Amino acid sequence: MSAPAASVTLSGPQLSQRELVRATAERRIGRRRVRSRLATAACAVTVCLSLAPLVSLIAYIIDRGARTLSLGFLVHTPKPIFVPGNGIGNAIVGTLIIVGLAMAMAVPVGLAASLFVMEGPRRLSGTIRFAADVLSGTPSIAIGVFAYAVIVLTIGYSGLAGSFALAVLMLPIMVRADEEAMAAVPAELWEAGLALGTRRGRIVRSVVLRSALPGIVTGNLLAMARAIGETAPLIFTIFGSQFYALRPTAPMSAMPLVIYTDATEPFKSAQATAWGTALVLLVLVVVVSVAARAVAAVMTRKAR
Amino acid sequence: MSMVHSSDAPPDRPLVDKLAARLAAEAGTEHELGNASRGEEAPSAGGAAAPAAAVTLKDVAVTFGGQVAVRNATLELAANKVTALVGPSGCGKTSILRAMNRLHDHTGGRVTGSIHLGDLDVYGPGTSPELVRSRVGMVFQKPNPFPTMGIFDNVVSGLRFNGIRSKALLAEAGEAALRKAALWDIVKDRLSDPAVRLSGGQQQRLCIARALAVEPEVILMDEPCSALDPVATAKIEALITELSADVTVVLVTHNMFQAARVSDFTAVFLLGDDRVGELVEVGPTATVFAEPRDPRTKAYVTGHIG
Amino acid sequence: MTTLSAPPAVSSLAVPGVGEALARQRTKRRGRLYALIRWAGAALFVAVFLALLVTLLQQAAPALGHMGLSILWRGWNPQKNELGAGVFIVGTLLTTALALLLAVPVGVGAAAMFAELAPRWIAGPLTAMVEFLAAIPSVVVGLWGLIVLTPLFARDVEPFLKTVPGLDAAFHGEPLGSSILLAGVVLAIMILPTVVALSRVAMTGVALADREAGMALAATRWQVVRKVVIPGAGRGIRAAVTLAMGRAMGEAIAVAFVIGNGSGLPHSLLSPGASLGSAIVSSFSEALPGSLLKSGVVALVLVLLAISVAVNVGGQILMRTRRPAVPPRGPADGSGTPPALPPDPGLVLVEMQP
Repeated sequence: MSAPAASVTLSGPQLSQRELVRATAERRIGRRRVRSRLATAACAVTVCLSLAPLVSLIAYIIDRGARTLSLGFLVHTPKPIFVPGNGIGNAIVGTLIIVGLAMAMAVPVGLAASLFVMEGPRRLSGTIRFAADVLSGTPSIAIGVFAYAVIVLTIGYSGLAGSFALAVLMLPIMVRADEEAMAAVPAELWEAGLALGTRRGRIVRSVVLRSALPGIVTGNLLAMARAIGETAPLIFTIFGSQFYALRPTAPMSAMPLVIYTDATEPFKSAQATAWGTALVLLVLVVVVSVAARAVAAVMTRKAR
Repeated sequence: MSMVHSSDAPPDRPLVDKLAARLAAEAGTEHELGNASRGEEAPSAGGAAAPAAAVTLKDVAVTFGGQVAVRNATLELAANKVTALVGPSGCGKTSILRAMNRLHDHTGGRVTGSIHLGDLDVYGPGTSPELVRSRVGMVFQKPNPFPTMGIFDNVVSGLRFNGIRSKALLAEAGEAALRKAALWDIVKDRLSDPAVRLSGGQQQRLCIARALAVEPEVILMDEPCSALDPVATAKIEALITELSADVTVVLVTHNMFQAARVSDFTAVFLLGDDRVGELVEVGPTATVFAEPRDPRTKAYVTGHIG
Repeated sequence: MTTLSAPPAVSSLAVPGVGEALARQRTKRRGRLYALIRWAGAALFVAVFLALLVTLLQQAAPALGHMGLSILWRGWNPQKNELGAGVFIVGTLLTTALALLLAVPVGVGAAAMFAELAPRWIAGPLTAMVEFLAAIPSVVVGLWGLIVLTPLFARDVEPFLKTVPGLDAAFHGEPLGSSILLAGVVLAIMILPTVVALSRVAMTGVALADREAGMALAATRWQVVRKVVIPGAGRGIRAAVTLAMGRAMGEAIAVAFVIGNGSGLPHSLLSPGASLGSAIVSSFSEALPGSLLKSGVVALVLVLLAISVAVNVGGQILMRTRRPAVPPRGPADGSGTPPALPPDPGLVLVEMQP
């Protein structure tokens, strides 16, 4: 309706306000419905736009990665170009060692810190939360440089430096996940404990922790899934290696690093290696993520 | 509601044509005014004696996922009267109410039977839910003004949804609606304040004003006072009585006394033997309470069941 | 209590009260051990946090002293000992702005689809798929961007954009593929799951009562979404955008793959450029330890840290004020499920992105 706004007069023997409203409303319905359908179609387009990169990404990874994948690829060590027997075995093992060490460092500290937040003095827990907020907002490249300064400058390029960087990366995530899991415990359990006269700390430890365990496990495993794929913390710390390197105090290889270095090399074989590594890495990330939820579901069901 | 008569106007002229004619008049050409023709005013054979039916339900049932919630609802809602739907909770009063403005389209309830709003088949194949809802307004149990809008924006939100843009018209309609809901003097100086700052009773009256602004023929009220204190309840009951002069009101309430106070007609819903809600009796309120025909109604109104 | 004259062979536990006293002592010792663990964990956590700041400051000090505040606008010319972050800050801002411009409308639209418009049977799986994108490591996205998107952009997209009338100012120069534009697109793809997930949660949090009020007033589905749901979800959407922005700013690896590593201010979206992240990635390893250049790169890290932390903390505050982290002390909610439900995994995964 293009009725001029100001010139609508509602007095006199003409249309009453009621009739004007009713008439306009009735007229507009068709146009409104069309507009609604168009807008919905536009939103459907945005969904397609959102999914297209994912589909393409997965398709390429599976297609190109599968071409490189073989048992030998998973077991051998890297070879110079044109030399057969190329593989990323050392990178796979390296990833597992580095992430494993990182978990060993981060999980206990994260749990302890979140217990502190739950049980300890309220004012100080705000400090922990603030530190967690800032740390989780820190770009992973900054954490990599931090690990370089602390570890590499003292003991040199090493898997340990990479683990340290990943641990620092995971810590705030774990603290927050642990805290949330414990806070999600229903109030009844808290009150039951309080009613029995036990102090708050004991309630947390004996009751809340047990029922928050599925959430804690999920959160920590998801943090691990994230850490497995992180590259920036590794490029300045572990240096990489062409061999099976099992000592954490020496340089090691890891899958994200292999992808990073091989992707930019001009050789097709290097790129093929990168795709193959990407496939293995993605599979590992997915397995851990799925395991995270599966473990939680199993634990929850058992506890019922 | 007002009608405009003109002696040489042809009857049954659609409203839209009238508007077009009026706009043409503003542009300086001649126009004719016609009768407002809306379902409930159709001169029917019923004559002036019986009040015309604003909404007609025939054998309406509502089913949720295979489970029937309420059935056998056949009743006529008299125009410009207050009809109360009473009964214990779970008997389907709210389901029937929501069937009237097609809210079940979104809740997954299946509605069978026929509902007519005057001439309009509410569930007809060509009827859009928006058309129905622009003529049938609703007020909910818990006051639900839009939290992100101010008081005035809330009141005119329905008008805006329906495509009315003219600022002058919005201002006038908004003020008129607020006056009808007895809120104008309270809020006129703070129209842009967030609506959530009002008290519960005031918020509910705001919701009523919001529903009124669109000039519906029917207003459905789903236990509008159950979340309010007695003082606010009394104000809203008074409001309902006033409103019924212009609109048909359908009021769901579990409070028999409220029904007795406010409504002209009462429909009683009770649980059948198979635990399915059904319409048991409907009639003028005084009759239903004093001399119910159905023994179950009698048991309910005397407090023996429900 | 009378003095005991029992033979030493009698176990002290036979005496009433001593057993309990010993148990109390054990509990106290255990309690103190637990307290020690908690305090140690907290202290360690804070120590790491402080060490991060201190170490970076320490390493960057020489360069910061050399450049002073001018680091924020000077250019990067290591040969002339000019270690300014100006060009990189521009690159970061450009790529982030581009990423947001692309990801926010698409993300909010997709979230509206999932939360309101799409039938339920399809919304679930599609949501999971979009949010799965968040789980893919950034180096893999970078790999795909480099090998798949770069030629695509060089061959098709960028030449096409050059032909669009009116956009000439933004899109002039050689279409090389690797460019600010491509970096922005890749970043948009990476932050999209964040926007979608958090917006979706915010939208489903809008009360049904508000949506029904809109419907009862004859609003169409889209009108309900646009006028009721999206404004109602406003805070959550703003938090989502802020967090996405922080993530885009901090991303270094994927950007390094596709931004082209140009020097100097980019004069068009098609020109290669550099962001803070990509500059750090490319310059850090080359710099000799202890050199001014190394210190300069760490200074870049500090600048990046300052910007992205500010943005991220803002977003987290926006998100946090909704949920209480302290257990509710009110009356039992009668949910009747003693074991706590694990946090919504999809959301946790997305929230974990920096």
